[in-house]
Amino acid sequence: MSHDSHAPQYRMGLPIPHSKLGMWLFLATEIMFFSAFIGAYIVLRAGSPGWPTDAEVTHLRIWAGGLNTFVLILSSYFVVLALEGMKADNFAKARRYLGLTLLLACVFLGIKAYEYSGKFKYDILPGHIPETPQMAIDKSMREMKQVVDNRTMALSNSKPPVKDEPAKPDESVELAGVTDEKTEELAPPLEEQRQKLQAELSAADTSESRKKELTAYFDLDTKYRELNQKALDESITLPAMNQELETLKKNPEYGMFLAPVHHLQPIIYGNLFASVYFLLTGFHALHVIIGMILFVIVLLQGKRLSEKWNDYVENIGLYWHFVDLVWIFLFPLIYII
Amino acid sequence: MSEPQSHSYVKYSSIFFALCICTVLSILFDVVDLRAHNLFGLNGVVLLSAGVLSIACAKALFVLIYFMHLKFEGKWKYVLLSPTIVLAMSLTVAITPDIGIHYYTNESPQIDYLEQAQQAALKDGPAKSAEKSHVE
Repeated sequence: MSHDSHAPQYRMGLPIPHSKLGMWLFLATEIMFFSAFIGAYIVLRAGSPGWPTDAEVTHLRIWAGGLNTFVLILSSYFVVLALEGMKADNFAKARRYLGLTLLLACVFLGIKAYEYSGKFKYDILPGHIPETPQMAIDKSMREMKQVVDNRTMALSNSKPPVKDEPAKPDESVELAGVTDEKTEELAPPLEEQRQKLQAELSAADTSESRKKELTAYFDLDTKYRELNQKALDESITLPAMNQELETLKKNPEYGMFLAPVHHLQPIIYGNLFASVYFLLTGFHALHVIIGMILFVIVLLQGKRLSEKWNDYVENIGLYWHFVDLVWIFLFPLIYII
Repeated sequence: MSEPQSHSYVKYSSIFFALCICTVLSILFDVVDLRAHNLFGLNGVVLLSAGVLSIACAKALFVLIYFMHLKFEGKWKYVLLSPTIVLAMSLTVAITPDIGIHYYTNESPQIDYLEQAQQAALKDGPAKSAEKSHVE
């Protein structure tokens, strides 16, 4: 980025600074990088009938995507103004607009984080989404079993069983059967703990509050076993299971423990959708973060900012416009179509 | 710099407003929701995709030409960008026959369930099917 303005600037090759040529070549590889993902998304989408588009199902908020588009466009505009400031030796203006751009990048990531948190809340995550009603019912039973097991362990005051991977697989045979501290710490099997709790419930010297807790736990356990049996027999439909779960969640004794059990919503191709969504938006967000670091580097110069930084600002500007460009395509592809 | 003063006549603010208008236009496409309609003998989804992607291309060109100053660059821009764009597009085209268009019978649990759901929705009445064909 350093240039002596009196020296002949370009001796051979293209009439642009080397750094700018480097940036453009890098952007060319970036075009390939993103078009691989975007292309894969378009093709997968076209080949998957019933791809989720309903906002109620995907929890994609068009206003959030639209707002983020506006934020990035505005930040691109500010970068152009910052470069104008640099070229006019108005470094205060350049700093101001670069600072605003950094701020807008933070806003963009904030909105993105809000969207991601919605996905996490509804468990719209790759590999987590049931795609048929039976898969949804099975998933709810797994989640409910986890809740019951956690209650078993909480009430028995024991730690969850630690799944220790042996450091070297060939050592595991030797370790087995050897009593050391680790194996002693392991919680006894859950069924054993359950029987102990059962005994505690029927014992005379158990306090009233403890008995109440235990009764709630056994009620929940019984409910789980009933529903699980129905799920295994495939004798319960999805709406009926949702109804049952809603009723259980309203129970004053144990309803609050059932918060981790999600509302059942099978989404055809939901996992593919979630994979593509997180891959595309995640890589884009990563580029935003890298852009922010580049802006921070120039802002850290403070009053020392001089015309030596012109090429740097121009190059990060090109990078930032490219990030904007990618979002310009992601917005209609993910949010609208 | 490489383009001394040559772009000073460009009004960046007008480009910015053009980009904003384009964004509003693409949101309008979502509000109107062409999916359910067939216009000019074309499927609604195709129309919607063509509409919003043309707007996206227009926005991309605005950014490339004015914000990224390609208008004021030398011929090297064609050498550098055309192979990349051709390769990027051909990548998508190349994987389309195998995944995007199934020349074989597509058998997957999702398709079976989709067919079941569509049949159930037809029995329940058309109102429900249009709304949530893939849910419950």
